[in-house]
Amino acid sequence: MIGVILAGFGALLVAIGTFGVVRFRDVYSRLQASGVSDNAGLSLVLLGLVVYEGWSSVDWALLFLLVLLLATNPIATHSIAKSAFVQRHTGEDIT
Amino acid sequence: MSIVQSVLLAAIVPLLFLLMRGPTAWDRLVAYNSAANRVTGVLAISSVIFHKPVLLDVAIIYAALSFIGVVALARFMERGEGFR
Repeated sequence: MIGVILAGFGALLVAIGTFGVVRFRDVYSRLQASGVSDNAGLSLVLLGLVVYEGWSSVDWALLFLLVLLLATNPIATHSIAKSAFVQRHTGEDIT
Repeated sequence: MSIVQSVLLAAIVPLLFLLMRGPTAWDRLVAYNSAANRVTGVLAISSVIFHKPVLLDVAIIYAALSFIGVVALARFMERGEGFR
């Protein structure tokens, strides 16, 4: 039951983040909505899956996926932001 | 738990719309990154629901490959060559 509540809260956060990503106008605003809500929401969903399945029969691949998402998602967000910033200050626009 | 999966799956559709519409290339990259994260979550949830542990390996490989693709595309667009 607690796992379903955690996963539902994560899904609510992901839905709010999707609304923010679609409605914002700038690249950096979209990155802010996407980075915060995706990381927190998917972490909550995976944590809810771990609690839902039970600690005795938990699969270690689920925890590895959680650690992998927590490690790689901020790197991707920072890479996109740095790419947009550097290209705007050194080169011309890309459409 | 199946309602959570359907919410995650429905949250991909506006991102695909943004992937078509996005004004610059980085908006499309943000939309692709978010859509790949949601696909990873959907795969993990369906692995737990249907009791198939193979789908967790698929989710791990999908997350790693999408991360490598996003970082490579961002580093490529940072130099600005090949987009004339």
